[in-house]
Amino acid sequence: MRLPRGDLVRSRTATAPGDALAWALDAGHTGYVVFEPADAVLGDGDDACVLTVADGVPRLAYHTDTERGGPPALADIAGAEPYSVDCYAVDGSALTDVPETDELTVAPDAPAERLAGDSALAERTRAAAPDEWTEESASPSDPVEAFLADEERLDAIRDRAREEARRKAREWDLTDALVDDDEH
Amino acid sequence: MVEAVAVASGKGGTGKTTATLALGMALAERYDVTVVDADTGMANLLFHAGLADAPVTLHDLLLDDDDVAVEDAVYNRFGMDVVPCGTSLDAFRDADPTRLRDVVAELARDTDVLLLDSPAALGSVSAVLPVVLADRVVVVLQPTVPALSDGLKVQEYARSYGTDGAGVLFNKVHDDDNVERIADRTERYFDGPVLASVPDADAAREARDAGEPLLARAPESAAAEAFREAAASIEIRDEAAEDVAARFRSAVVPEQP
Repeated sequence: MRLPRGDLVRSRTATAPGDALAWALDAGHTGYVVFEPADAVLGDGDDACVLTVADGVPRLAYHTDTERGGPPALADIAGAEPYSVDCYAVDGSALTDVPETDELTVAPDAPAERLAGDSALAERTRAAAPDEWTEESASPSDPVEAFLADEERLDAIRDRAREEARRKAREWDLTDALVDDDEH
Repeated sequence: MVEAVAVASGKGGTGKTTATLALGMALAERYDVTVVDADTGMANLLFHAGLADAPVTLHDLLLDDDDVAVEDAVYNRFGMDVVPCGTSLDAFRDADPTRLRDVVAELARDTDVLLLDSPAALGSVSAVLPVVLADRVVVVLQPTVPALSDGLKVQEYARSYGTDGAGVLFNKVHDDDNVERIADRTERYFDGPVLASVPDADAAREARDAGEPLLARAPESAAAEAFREAAASIEIRDEAAEDVAARFRSAVVPEQP
């Protein structure tokens, strides 16, 4: 993916991906965002995912090392938190010159879902996306299939929910109603 | 016999109340069914069941007011007993959610199935209590990543409180959502089977606007048929009413501050 040169407008090291995505959305950022796992920054690898963003909404993804685009580019860095994230501003008209091939496009909410695991941010991003972008991604049930195939992520959601249920039970004085973990 | 089943979703907009009343009406062909709007903060079952003007609701039962008997809030509609909840925010604020336990215990004495329309969130005692009190939970999902993700969360809360899964109901399904392809994987992560895939239907919206449950308004619709199929897959467990009532009564519920 060849991108026009951009101006660095925001740079964070060791940050959560949702942070950068939420910033881009709220700022209506247009340009591209480079996610580099913090581990890779220290090494000599070229392990970064470049995500183009138009008016705050992600559009194309490309991984510089694996050279994969679209959802696989996100998968290549998913779960490698924290990231070093650089946000570059590009003129919107220059960005529209980048060819939007099927191999590169991602659903508007895919980065928030896949990288940040943040459903609320995903929903917000989806709401901000042009209709034709969300319709494209809504037609097949692929995101759902991909989600259900991602055992690691599903286990992580369940582990977090279990911990939260127990923490809240203590807060609400409901611990006596809990069953032992071992039973399930 | 009686069993309490919470109908939950973890996410708003999945059509949970439509589902609760539809399952209730379908189960009412085989059992005595009582439907309770346990979503005390965002009550809407009254609108779906033509009970917008109900003089006494669950809110009155959750107030510290001994003048109101549980049966005063029970309305026989569409072949079921329906306990609506009011929409007044003041009443919600003054209500003691923990009294739900006693209301449920009272209702359990005289029904086969208690369906609890549960809040679409898990952020407070009143929101989580129906799932804590119920024997089993039906999780209503749309085939979307956020709905599945939040549904998993409800499921884990239920498990944490020893509440079994009665299954998963896919609702508001569009033609291009290939639920069959995701059903197997869904069943790996949720307790119980995928009970049915209910198509998104104008009939459901029209029924809600008319203040009637879907199965009364459009019994021949594909959505109604799918809900009946779901209800047919739920075998209500046989437990003595008195035992259940006693269990609810002794259920651990915190004191209100």
